[in-house]
Amino acid sequence: MHSSDAKTARTMVEAVSVEAGKSSNATPRRRRAIKLDTGDLVLQAFSYLTVGLFAVFCLLPFVMMLSASLSSEAEIRRSGFGLFPKDFTLAAYQYIFNAPQQIIGSYVVTVVMTVTGTAIGLFVIAMTGYALNRKDFPFRDHVSFFIYFTTLFSAGLAPTFLWVARVLDLRGSYLAVFLQLLMTPWLIILMKNFMRTVPYEIVESGKVDGAGDFRIFAQLCLPMMKPALATIGLFLALSYWNEWYLSSLYLGSTVEFKPLQYHLYNLINTANALRNSVAGSNVSITDLPTNTLKMASAIVATGPILLLYPFVQRYFVSGIAIGAVKG
Amino acid sequence: MAHEDSPRRRKSLLRKVVDSRILLLMCAPAIVFFVVFNYAPLPGIWIAFTNFNYRDGIFGSPFVGFKNFEFLFKSGQLWMLTRNTILYNLAFIILGNILQIAIAIMLNEIRLKFFRKISQGVMFLPFFISAVLVGVIAFNLLNYDTGALNALIKQTGGDPIKIYSTAGLWPIIIIMVHLWQSTGYGSIVYFAAIMGIDKGLYEAAAIDGASAWQRIRHVTLPSLKPTFIILVLFSLGGIMHGNFGLFWNLVGNNAALFQTTDIIETSVYRMVLSQNNFTTSTAVGLYQSLFGFALVMIANGIVRRINKDYALF
Amino acid sequence: MNRRRVLAIGAAMLALGTSSASMMSSAFAQDAPVEITMLTMGNKPTNGRLEAMLEKLNERLIAQANAKLNLFYIEWADWQTQYNVQLLSGDDNVDLVATATDWLYAWENAEKGAFLPLSEDMLKTHAPKTWAQVDAAGHWDLTKLADGNIYFMPEDNYTQYTNHGFFYRGDWAKEAGFENGEITKFEDFTKYFEWVKANKPDAYPWDVAGANEAALTGYMQGHTDFQTLQGVSAGNYAPFQTKASDPYTITSWYMEGDALIEAAKLAKQWNDIGVWREDALNYDGDTREEFYAGLTGAEQHHTQTFVTQIVHNMNAKQPGSDPKFYYWGEENGNFFKDIFTHGAMAVSTYSRNPEKALEVYDLIRNDKENYMLFNYGIEGEDYIIREDGVLDRPEGFDSSTMSLDTNYWWGRMDEFEPARTTDAPNKAELIDELNATAKDYPYSTLIINKSAIEPTLAAMAGVLSEYIPQLQYGKFEDPAAAVAEMREKLAAVGYEDARASIQADIDAWATARGLK
Repeated sequence: MHSSDAKTARTMVEAVSVEAGKSSNATPRRRRAIKLDTGDLVLQAFSYLTVGLFAVFCLLPFVMMLSASLSSEAEIRRSGFGLFPKDFTLAAYQYIFNAPQQIIGSYVVTVVMTVTGTAIGLFVIAMTGYALNRKDFPFRDHVSFFIYFTTLFSAGLAPTFLWVARVLDLRGSYLAVFLQLLMTPWLIILMKNFMRTVPYEIVESGKVDGAGDFRIFAQLCLPMMKPALATIGLFLALSYWNEWYLSSLYLGSTVEFKPLQYHLYNLINTANALRNSVAGSNVSITDLPTNTLKMASAIVATGPILLLYPFVQRYFVSGIAIGAVKG
Repeated sequence: MAHEDSPRRRKSLLRKVVDSRILLLMCAPAIVFFVVFNYAPLPGIWIAFTNFNYRDGIFGSPFVGFKNFEFLFKSGQLWMLTRNTILYNLAFIILGNILQIAIAIMLNEIRLKFFRKISQGVMFLPFFISAVLVGVIAFNLLNYDTGALNALIKQTGGDPIKIYSTAGLWPIIIIMVHLWQSTGYGSIVYFAAIMGIDKGLYEAAAIDGASAWQRIRHVTLPSLKPTFIILVLFSLGGIMHGNFGLFWNLVGNNAALFQTTDIIETSVYRMVLSQNNFTTSTAVGLYQSLFGFALVMIANGIVRRINKDYALF
Repeated sequence: MNRRRVLAIGAAMLALGTSSASMMSSAFAQDAPVEITMLTMGNKPTNGRLEAMLEKLNERLIAQANAKLNLFYIEWADWQTQYNVQLLSGDDNVDLVATATDWLYAWENAEKGAFLPLSEDMLKTHAPKTWAQVDAAGHWDLTKLADGNIYFMPEDNYTQYTNHGFFYRGDWAKEAGFENGEITKFEDFTKYFEWVKANKPDAYPWDVAGANEAALTGYMQGHTDFQTLQGVSAGNYAPFQTKASDPYTITSWYMEGDALIEAAKLAKQWNDIGVWREDALNYDGDTREEFYAGLTGAEQHHTQTFVTQIVHNMNAKQPGSDPKFYYWGEENGNFFKDIFTHGAMAVSTYSRNPEKALEVYDLIRNDKENYMLFNYGIEGEDYIIREDGVLDRPEGFDSSTMSLDTNYWWGRMDEFEPARTTDAPNKAELIDELNATAKDYPYSTLIINKSAIEPTLAAMAGVLSEYIPQLQYGKFEDPAAAVAEMREKLAAVGYEDARASIQADIDAWATARGLK
């Protein structure tokens, strides 16, 4: 074995044993060299290479956007995008931030919605997922189907809009967006599926101790579900963060501060809408930095989530702290 | 459900409700949610059969039968559109899940925490790029006159490709863009599932002298199976619904590409939605729902027959 | 009951509460001014000028009608959807609704019941000046549905031309060999484009973005006497025409004659020259800005844009470029004056104060001081009137940050409109030239029963959207064969049925008016 290979092997052994040790109280803690064949090494190398390449594939367009957002509009118009800014300028960002109270307001609206929505939604989803996974819950199939059915059969845009806007009278209210994003069938079923990893013995031991169903869920199961909660919480947070469609239907221009993504979407689409449209005849477009503006808006919208991500990721790596039987 | 209960445990409905009241209550918020936002608007589908006006409302507007559906059949494109929509979605589902699993497994193999964190974070980026921007980026990469790809080809002495008039290339492009956008996001589920696999299983496998490939084949993949099946079945529910934003922003009005890129949403948009016709859009939605519903019932029935645990319901 | 449901009910009760409260206030406190909200199009300005103007305007409105005006903006992003969704929502906070029959879904929304039918009595009592002026011109008929009710008040006393054509550069045209740099025939642009291609390596001869039928319709308009029927469209296309020589027979220039084939062949020739980008259909750049930057030899839009923006901007940004305008039908006089409902004002069905809304509209439209305030702001701050009567901006005025943006295109009046410094110097000349030849649109009062043919129109839209974009950019190897194929498909989806249905409408209309 070459020294570098040996090092890799050692790192790996350590990693495995650390995780094994952490993961399992049932199995005795042991530090033993597991067999490392060339297959492992090939797999390792292949993994680094593929993941690395795919990451670059995902990153490159982003770099292009970043550089475009920092280029001058005239240069972009002349020669398109590149990997490095052409004729560096912050004009696009200035345009986005030139009414700072607007973008700050949007940030506040979005952050508040995302945080509270994720917290409330996650709790409800976890609760439902837990109940639906309980094998002794006689209505689990009924309720599952009741929830799943909504993905198969939806009223569609117009009837839903008429209902929410005219009957619930929620148009023009942030609630229309906030409530509709609280949960999706997909996340509930996903949560139910994650709950399978909680062994039924835990539930039973809780019952033996005289705990009620809700206490078993809140005190015994939830703490074991960190990766699931992190995953689904991330998805929920993303859907709040990325939301613009419901905002466009239910908020439109009725609110002073639009959710962030909808605010940016509007910035991007205003220029598009005015061009080649009948309406454009009446409006003078004041030198909007169209291309660079689009790109800068994407950067502004994405930045904060990038900062959030490593924080969430901690939970994935921690794994589920049990070594019991699979559910 | 009934078949689940042995005769000994068969109880009256009331008894069951009382016994499981806490669990029922735990489901209640979700149930109310779906009633309010998904079931309550369902009767509104009736507008698909009316000449809807605001004065008479949903149920007072004149009934017109299937007239709002007529254009779908008249256009003679319905079959091609349905086929395209389903094929694209199948490709997205199958390739998407395979790639997501592969990436999740490989991420799990990567020991350098720093490398893993960075790459996983980076893979998330495309998810934040709105469809409008995806269209802009694609155009800047692929167009004939100034596109980066053709610039590269010209530099190396090749002949530039007219990508925007070559219909055959677009299924590949669209699928790649979709994978680019969704893989990082989707692999999270599988990654979390791998994290949830009992580490003892890996140890046991290691003791048995399993190679890396065997470990993946015999431990990881089987553990991911339930997740995989659920995700696939779930995405089947949306198999009749195309991703309008993606297709519209990539292809737009470029009729030269329609043969391989036109899906129900884009075609209907060109035919009626630019007129903001709410009733026809509801009619099309109903067609998609019914067709998709039938498909999923069949798929679920098959899965249920093979292994009840994996069925959605 | 669940928390969410309670919230929803709470919200509903809150809304009810506020509405009944405001109703009570209007019933009991006679002297509190009624607040009228006008829906307009555009992005709400944030520079404070709008509020400053409204304060002054509202002082006057309170004195004149005990009312206050408020603006609600439908923003430009997705404005078509936003406009229709706003009306669909049944929002009772909006009283006056800006609309237009040719671009802002006036007929569709009138039919769906979003607009309040306006009785003659109501108009005579609450909008007397508007009533009298429109009545004298005989234009109320243009605003009636088949039920005989008036649904909106037209902007019928404002001259503007929105007939389309090419903007091009006189300096380049001159070098290309055109006398005085003037191009007067559609196909002469071939020569201009070829010259630009050969001599201006930085510029596209005509950089055009996205689906744009101009290359076909521009040719057909100038080479036939087809006149396009408005108010009946298939997707983005207007597929029904009559001929000036046979004005009561419905036909289609997509179906009949060789003009479409000739146009498509010319488009193919242009495509082969490289007049536009290879991927023009997917390009979405800002070609107007490119024209100002000298990166395209031509730009396509209409007269109003030319006289209010293009000349001013080109003279500033490309000095000596001598911007010129060729309009479709210039060679044979086959083009039209604007219809009188290119802008209009309706009253919302859900308005709580429709009478007051009419009064406010009447006061803005017909009181010069109100009119100037609402359109141009406060004199001395937002605008100044030069000694020669031309409207100018005060020193240091920056239109990109200080504009008022009330976007009142729903009842402008020629007699109140001042000349502006940004107008093209030859504006009057050009308008006179157009006035001399432009035809009046003959079918303003024709109402087409669309609901009978909607499925066919939709299916036709499907076919047209498959062929026209490729024909317009010359992408078919054999345009004639493609046109033949398209015609076959149009026939197959029921073109003839739709045509016959409209024919019946126009027959009845013509007979009723003794035209036929």
